[in-house]
Amino acid sequence: MLVSKNWLQEYVSLDMDQADLEERLTMSGLNHEGNNEYESDLAIDLEVTSNRPDCLGHLGVAREIGLLYGLKFRMPKPKLEESSKANVKDEISISIEATDLAPYYSARIIQGVKIGESPDWLKNRLQTVGIASVNNVVDISNYVLMECGQPLHVFDRDSISGNQIIVRRAVEKEKFHAINHKEYELSSEMCVIADANGPIALGGVMGGAESEVTEKTVNLLIEAADFAPLAIRHASRTLNLPSDSSYRFERGVDPKGIDWASRRCCELILEIAGGTLLSGVATAGELVTDREPITLRLNQVERILGISISPEEIEKILLSLELTLSEKDANKLVVVPPTFRRDLTREIDLIEEIARVFGYEKIPVDARVPMAASHKTDQEHIFDKIRLVMQGVQFCEAMSASVVSQKWSDAFSPWTDEGAITTDSPMLRGADHLRRTVVSSLLGSKKFNETLGNHQVDLYELAKIYLPQKSGAPEEPTLLSLASSRDFLAVKGVLELLLSRINSDLTLTVEPSEDDFFAAGRGCRLILEGELWGFLGEVSAKGQKLFGLKQATTVAEIKLDRLLKEAVLIPTQKHLSKFPTIKQDINLVVGESVLWQDLHKTIQASAGNLLEKIEFQEIFRAQEEIKEAKKRVLFSVTLRALEKTLTREEATAVREEICRACEEEFQAKLLS
Amino acid sequence: MALVTFTQRLEDLKESANADFQKATTQALVEEARVKYLGAKNGLLKEVQKELGKISKEEKPLAGKALNETKQALQKALDEAESQIRSGVTAAGDQPLFDPTLPGTSYTLGHIHPITQTISELSDIMGRLGFSVVGGPEVEDEDHNFNALNIPQEHPARDPLDNFYLSFAQETNKTPMLLRSQTSTVQIRVMEKTKPPIRIVSLGRVYRPDTADATHYPMFHQMEGLYVDEKVTMADLKTVMHLFAKSYLGEGVKVRFRPSFFPFTEPSVETDFYWNGKWVEYGGAGMVDPNVFRAVGYDPEEVTGFAFGLGVERLCMRRHNVTDIRDLYQNDVQFLRQF
Repeated sequence: MLVSKNWLQEYVSLDMDQADLEERLTMSGLNHEGNNEYESDLAIDLEVTSNRPDCLGHLGVAREIGLLYGLKFRMPKPKLEESSKANVKDEISISIEATDLAPYYSARIIQGVKIGESPDWLKNRLQTVGIASVNNVVDISNYVLMECGQPLHVFDRDSISGNQIIVRRAVEKEKFHAINHKEYELSSEMCVIADANGPIALGGVMGGAESEVTEKTVNLLIEAADFAPLAIRHASRTLNLPSDSSYRFERGVDPKGIDWASRRCCELILEIAGGTLLSGVATAGELVTDREPITLRLNQVERILGISISPEEIEKILLSLELTLSEKDANKLVVVPPTFRRDLTREIDLIEEIARVFGYEKIPVDARVPMAASHKTDQEHIFDKIRLVMQGVQFCEAMSASVVSQKWSDAFSPWTDEGAITTDSPMLRGADHLRRTVVSSLLGSKKFNETLGNHQVDLYELAKIYLPQKSGAPEEPTLLSLASSRDFLAVKGVLELLLSRINSDLTLTVEPSEDDFFAAGRGCRLILEGELWGFLGEVSAKGQKLFGLKQATTVAEIKLDRLLKEAVLIPTQKHLSKFPTIKQDINLVVGESVLWQDLHKTIQASAGNLLEKIEFQEIFRAQEEIKEAKKRVLFSVTLRALEKTLTREEATAVREEICRACEEEFQAKLLS
Repeated sequence: MALVTFTQRLEDLKESANADFQKATTQALVEEARVKYLGAKNGLLKEVQKELGKISKEEKPLAGKALNETKQALQKALDEAESQIRSGVTAAGDQPLFDPTLPGTSYTLGHIHPITQTISELSDIMGRLGFSVVGGPEVEDEDHNFNALNIPQEHPARDPLDNFYLSFAQETNKTPMLLRSQTSTVQIRVMEKTKPPIRIVSLGRVYRPDTADATHYPMFHQMEGLYVDEKVTMADLKTVMHLFAKSYLGEGVKVRFRPSFFPFTEPSVETDFYWNGKWVEYGGAGMVDPNVFRAVGYDPEEVTGFAFGLGVERLCMRRHNVTDIRDLYQNDVQFLRQF
């Protein structure tokens, strides 16, 4: 909020150094954000937190300065000269039909004013705080708003038809023609000020065009009211009508300040625009000005702050904040907060005030915080391992938004057929679907890289997806997703390496996937120990087109919960053989349809306990075999005994057993 | 075949092989010559060897001896050629200079996202201070995101326009759900399940509607710390913040509190660190509001606690001199390879 230095000086002397003032304000909760210099004034920009609406006016800021520097704060006392002849109540009556939206409403009337330009001092002050001058009466109501933080509204009395002001809920879809000359459609959650013909103002938010004060206006009705914060926020947000007025009502006004503001406004109008003030004030509703006393147990100050402050100091601080002492003994103080401090209702609120005024700089940084053990979670360990492996295989870690467009969401959803959860307002342009896979986001990133001319793109992301459930919160599994310029087997190798680093005993197999997001025959479900673990495949032409990709892409996605369960975080030593190995190359001729995965299983089962490892070498298709739909599979088996040197004969026996089993299972023929 | 013819052919072979091996100054040329002369299937020596059968029985031992000698000579020529290549010396006496300024063999590694690197550093530091990392759901109900955090119905933070409220395809969900707007929700979940003392940091993605620009993004990461025990004070909070700052920035850093306001802490402060000649705001902090304790079933007369929050992106950007937050989420590999 902008405050004028000249203006502040009406209530407190500002002889201190300007930089010191800014520093002290910042350190007591009014964060100094900058200054604007004017010819003869200085606008000081202060950030006011939402719990301190009392500082949304010059009086509140001046009061804080008085408190910080121990200076006298001068509160103006409006003096009104009222007409002895006419009473406002004969002229107008007020009825509140929606006390939940507007608990209190008051009106004063001034007759025979002369609308014109404001005097220079008034214009200058408004200019300093960033408000444009309109005419003397409107400027005065803005001036009072910026002085004490109480929003006011001034109507042209003669445009109000009838003698009654009704404060009510808007009728659903009721039309309202605002002072900005735009028409708005209202809802029944909003509060209107109405005359016999309909709304003349949207309570606490904006005046109406018809009752606006213009140069033709002669008689005025000055509104000072209290509106419910929630109703004001609803109206200003829904209609997109934020104003200085709504901003303050949303945070709550001082119930005792309402009549002060009304009187102050009338005083200035009479002084600057002339006219006669009808006696009295027309009101409706009630104002709660009584405050509950708060008990502060003195020992609680040290319990919370960790520093000792003397009871005298505590009492002095509370009194300087204009709280009144109602009771006191050795252990406690009972105090009543002023009406303008709505934020003070509990003991803890008082402790904060004491800390703030006493000074946080007096809290030391040498407390003896006890030591405590902390531990990394299994998930953190697994993430570390994954990142280490991914770094080794030259993938870059990506990070992308959790919410994607419908197009991306629909493109691929391997984990669920349930529709995606959507956000009520889009997160980024066109993105309102909570992702059910990370693959789409990575393909989007890959496309972005293609656009930039980056060709070798290998990305992975560790993130959650959001899978809707039948009821309640969605499931949020954590996934590892990959998108890469490399081919199917290259990406499969990454997953195999990763798996071997986390638990080398787990068996990964694949099953064909029919999803047309994958190129035909090149998409798979990944099965870990018989359970679905994830997906791997080369993106089909259709998929490539959807994301605008020109270069071939392989994607994979795996769920990490399974891995977490099976992870061997602390590997243990296995007894290793000291005897030499014998390696045997085996070249089998099998039918085209025989899969390595199945062959591998048979080799493993038939090799017995001398088997150390099986290594695939290559597949070769000789002309004559192609005709018979056959291929050669070359692999090697490494054999080793734990307790002795293996003999040629033993190795040959294993080899023969492997060949026999493969022949039985797959009609495989050993190539001589 | 006459023995002379046979030995002559061997001599010719030796001569031509010697010449070829001497000329072979690269590994490829040596290999080529090896295959040509000593190749197991079609090498020239093998060719000559086949002629051995045509030699008369009496002359065969002599022919065999000559064959062996030639074979050894060829092997010697091959060995020499190979060792010359290894030592860089050729028979011609030239010594091609080894150029040690040539680039080394190129290796590459992948890269870890700068946000992850920042998070790792933060959680490592907090780990050393006794705080363990906890996670929790990103889709939350209003109880955890607001009510338990002392954010009542009329609080502006609950405005639908300031949150990502969610719609479900299956309209079975009765309670409104939203993407969490702070990771304090995790602290509530931990306190609901665990008795004090508690010393945790909750880390993860949070969501607030903001138009994406250089300094704003509707999704970002937060790290929030919570310490609850019988005698936790604001002096403990300031001390822990100071220790954190010393670990993260370095010795000599100063810490200060400025009054602020958050619904879930009272008193509430902004934490500034003084580093490189200026005060910089790092995050909000405060003493856990008694209402928060009541909401999770703790007695505020028995325990006190502090909480603090840091925006990970802001720290990451400051640390790596990233000027546009959107760069962090576009995954340009050229960008990512810098970290």
